[in-house]
Amino acid sequence: MEYYPLPQPAEIPEREKEDAMGAYLMMFAAVAIGLPLPIINLIAAIIYYYINRKKSRFIHFHSLQSLLSQIPTTVINWGLVIWSVGILLRENWKLTPEFWGYAIFAGTSTLLYFVFSLIAAYKARQGRMYYFLFFGKVAYEAAYKMVPEKPGESSEPANKPPF
Amino acid sequence: MKKGVLRDFLILLGIAVLLLLTGYYLARKIWDSGADLSYKVSYEQEDKLGEGLSDLVLKQFTALKNRTADSALDQITGRLINALDSSRYRYQFVILKSDQINAFTIPGGNIFVFSGLIEFTESPEELAAVLAHEIGHAEKRHVVSRLVNELSIAVLLSGLSNGDPSLVARILKEIIGNGFDREQENQADQFGLRLLERARISPKSLARFFERLETKGLDYDESLELLMNHPHNSKRIDQARRFKTKNDFQPVPFNIDWKKVKKSIKE
Repeated sequence: MEYYPLPQPAEIPEREKEDAMGAYLMMFAAVAIGLPLPIINLIAAIIYYYINRKKSRFIHFHSLQSLLSQIPTTVINWGLVIWSVGILLRENWKLTPEFWGYAIFAGTSTLLYFVFSLIAAYKARQGRMYYFLFFGKVAYEAAYKMVPEKPGESSEPANKPPF
Repeated sequence: MKKGVLRDFLILLGIAVLLLLTGYYLARKIWDSGADLSYKVSYEQEDKLGEGLSDLVLKQFTALKNRTADSALDQITGRLINALDSSRYRYQFVILKSDQINAFTIPGGNIFVFSGLIEFTESPEELAAVLAHEIGHAEKRHVVSRLVNELSIAVLLSGLSNGDPSLVARILKEIIGNGFDREQENQADQFGLRLLERARISPKSLARFFERLETKGLDYDESLELLMNHPHNSKRIDQARRFKTKNDFQPVPFNIDWKKVKKSIKE
């Protein structure tokens, strides 16, 4: 299986580095806007990904990694929101250690995610790759893997010089 | 899927599970340490608080003076107290005139029973079951623990030292107005069931009482809050029903004309 070569920091234009960094930083703003419902960040990440992924493989990788890595924390935080509403409606705010345990879990996961996102944003600004556990590999696969040509498709360029 | 990706996914899942378990462990530890702060209040301080609160209760409610009911209550509570191995408290039981189906414990071993509760019970054993549960709250110092949690030790101790009436009233409101948490109710249930067994009163009486209370609770009555304040009542009923007594356990019925007691209360 072949992959496109990874660009080195000096080869990446400044504009691309900024766009790649933006994929992570944009999430912080979206989380702040979306509170207490953790969904705006995910929507923003999806939009950002679809707008920017064609610009370059480097941006494609970082914006996809940012998008994918948001999914678990979004789901975890949604769990917390639903649990809180359930407690409010059915149990008149009787908080249990199970609930607090989950809240600590959700808070720590989100905090960890923020820390890694900041590191990734910093690395992206420097024009470097930074791979999250699992999501890094998936995003790399999507952005840099060479797609084999479909049968019948010619590798001949459509436009050719006159001589 | 590539092998490395699958491995990463499993590591991530493992980290998540570890975080979840750690979160639960920490919460449980904090919760448990916060749940019992009763050691911050000495028994002497508790007695003093109990006296102040008892006076306030008797100002807010009318104590029922009824020889038939008092005698029945003495008989029931006597059996329960005798069955206690040892106790720091000198228990006092008072019947209050009120339709509420309730009983509550205040610090210092003072337990109040609303006449509505006596009217609701179908036997002296059922009342004994509720009182055994309340004794459980007293022995485990749940009320003190809850007060310390809710009002802070500073507020509580200042109330104790200067007897500020508004503060004492606030403390009483806290006791009657809010229920115990699930763990405390469970502890009081278990204590009560063991006490009933030792007093040779059928522990099933608690299950019977709860069942009828739950049936009544269907058309929600706020007065049930203290005794049945959790969504897990079916579990409590089940635990009471399944409580294992010793093989040679033989309940000894009370020699009380319960209908007469209930009638005397209405009069």
